[in-house]
Amino acid sequence: MSGTDEPLPSVPDDPRREALDAMVDREALDPRDELEKTTYRTDLGIAMAEDARRVGRGELSSEAYWQKYDRAAAAEFGDDYRETPNPAVDRAEQTIDDEIAESLSCSVGSMDGVAESLEGVAAEESEGEGDEKWGMVIDLQKCVGCDSCTVACKAENRTPPGVTYNVVMEEEHGEYPDVTRTNVPRPCMQCDNPPCVQVCPVSATYKMENGVVNVDYDRCIGCRYCMIACPYGARYFDFGENYDDEVDGAGEIQSPEYGVDRGPRTDGESPVGNVRKCSFCTHRLNRGEEPACVETCIGDARNAGDLNDPDSEVSKLADSSRAFQLKEAEGTDPNVYYLK
Amino acid sequence: MSTITDITERYDPGFRSETVRYAWYGLLAVLLLVGGWATWRRLTVGMASTNLSSVTPWGAWVAFYIYFVGLSAGAFLVSTLANVFEVEGFEQIDRDALFAAVVSMVVALLFVWVDLGRMDRMYYPFVWRQPTSALSWEVHAYVAYVAVLVTELYFSMRLDLARVAARARGWRATLCRLLTLGRTSTSAASGRTDRRWLKRTGLVGIPLAIFMVHGGTGVLFAVAKARPYWNSGLFPIIFVVSAVVSGTALVTVLYVVRTKLIAGDAVDRDLLDRLGQLLAAFVVTDAALTAIEALIAINSLHPHELETWLVVLFGEMSWSFWWFMVGFGWVFPLVVLSKRSWRRSPFPAASAGLFVVVGIVAVRFNIVVPPQILPVMEGLPHGSYVPSTVEWLTSLGIVAVGLLLYSLGAEILPLKPLESTPHGGDDT
Repeated sequence: MSGTDEPLPSVPDDPRREALDAMVDREALDPRDELEKTTYRTDLGIAMAEDARRVGRGELSSEAYWQKYDRAAAAEFGDDYRETPNPAVDRAEQTIDDEIAESLSCSVGSMDGVAESLEGVAAEESEGEGDEKWGMVIDLQKCVGCDSCTVACKAENRTPPGVTYNVVMEEEHGEYPDVTRTNVPRPCMQCDNPPCVQVCPVSATYKMENGVVNVDYDRCIGCRYCMIACPYGARYFDFGENYDDEVDGAGEIQSPEYGVDRGPRTDGESPVGNVRKCSFCTHRLNRGEEPACVETCIGDARNAGDLNDPDSEVSKLADSSRAFQLKEAEGTDPNVYYLK
Repeated sequence: MSTITDITERYDPGFRSETVRYAWYGLLAVLLLVGGWATWRRLTVGMASTNLSSVTPWGAWVAFYIYFVGLSAGAFLVSTLANVFEVEGFEQIDRDALFAAVVSMVVALLFVWVDLGRMDRMYYPFVWRQPTSALSWEVHAYVAYVAVLVTELYFSMRLDLARVAARARGWRATLCRLLTLGRTSTSAASGRTDRRWLKRTGLVGIPLAIFMVHGGTGVLFAVAKARPYWNSGLFPIIFVVSAVVSGTALVTVLYVVRTKLIAGDAVDRDLLDRLGQLLAAFVVTDAALTAIEALIAINSLHPHELETWLVVLFGEMSWSFWWFMVGFGWVFPLVVLSKRSWRRSPFPAASAGLFVVVGIVAVRFNIVVPPQILPVMEGLPHGSYVPSTVEWLTSLGIVAVGLLLYSLGAEILPLKPLESTPHGGDDT
């Protein structure tokens, strides 16, 4: 692999690209025409702009640039020039300070400030890391039964035929004409007392500290006892089937479930022959994203978050009088709550 | 007591008729070939070659696995009637029972193996464990149990192995000498030592077989709270009782067949009578406990239990309940065994046994499959399961492996005691 001219894999070398570039050039405004509409010097503006591009390309240092133009700019723009902060020369970090930002009514504050506040958030998050107990609250009044969570889940986790980490169960109550229908989405409940963990003979499935029940595909022997034990039918066996007939290259990559990249899907290699289930999209949670089903839900019926944080939305929802768990009598204590 | 000529004459291993031998091994060869093809399909296609699904993850292989564990535990418990409880006449079937128990365990473990999604990881339960998992305990119990069985078989047979080694010639003598593990004495004292240790090992084996091996296999199902049909305290007990039913039946069949085809002796009618009475008593107990279990389930009005019983009684495979479980397993043997002259005759007694042995297969299927037809939650899809061709044929092949092992053992090893006086040694 050498040569920058080689096309990137997956980015086809499109012959229309030159035409597109030409279109951009055609649409670009003529700088001279534009600057002539102002009261300031056109030639100075063009010279400064061209040298600014050289600074951008690294052909000219910003010190040299300002040495060259400081006096001319001061003469041309006067007080406005002196009062406007210039991050490039005022501060080594090329930022403006809060006061100036305030005076210019920059709504986001100085970039420095933004960066600092981000660091603050990150620091808070890292303090909390390790104490989360991921939970989910599904509002049955908001669920319209569109099944997009199921679809998003299949796309995100690239599950094979017959493996569906999330399903939407439909319940009909009453008799015509007084019929109501409840849609109950069913991910893995990530039980606090998981019967599946209890029965696994090789401890291949276990509860992680963040509350998610993990399946170690490198240890699972495929005995399927956990599927017998699960009261929610949330576990699926990977029989090795594929979508190859439906989708070209369906098995070329697999979802990095539990943060492990397993490369292309191969016959006889895990997770084929293993038991699989919803992981609350652990790989997404680890990079600060919501599970795919939560993100995609059109009615905002699904909420995911930290049940250990009493201020989190899921904690508050899970505490509401509408909240219940599926099959509470089983003693499994699910971390998925439903709102009546 | 026995003389050298007696021993060598009586140690006449192998089928008495060459025709029977060729026919039998020919049949086994066909079954093994068919089973081999199916196993090859299982290995190359993977679990997709089965009719299993995520709704019904356990099927024929699991049913056969618990069937053969039960057969083994049952046969073993019959052997303890000879070597621990010293019931008169039972010493004749001691080794048949023990050897059948060993072979059944081999067959059972082959079924577990072929059923694993990752067959290459079959040794993992010995590397990683889970103390709350019945299955984790079970695999260890199976190993201990097979060790007990092999030890017992050794102590039960060692004296005769030593006799054959000393007085016969050729490769059989060499093999038998190897199997004595160097203890080649044929003295009465060494026989007494063997019997003492046989009894001790048998005593260890009884609780192991009842509570751990087969009771434990019942527990494996009974702890699954998600499946109310299994989740009962009576369930592991029925498991053990039906195991004893099938084990007694199997030993009866093996005794008659070996006596007729290999030993060529007269069948001991008193022994048949006792076996028949035992079998009848066990069948009645099994049927009664099953009825109690069904009544408790139906009276609970628990929808899942009710519907599962409806699946058993009237579902897609209800024929297996009515014909095989009730008909073959209970009614036919009880009718045959109720008449004294029938249960004392080899043919009726052996057919009653054979019907039970086949009938209990249906018992195992009706344990494993029905609670996996109904979904665990309303709104999830229903299951539907009938074993695939690959599942049936691999099962046939694995059973043929067991039959082959047993036939070879019956032909080569002195499974029939070399003397009629029980527990004898040579008074030399």
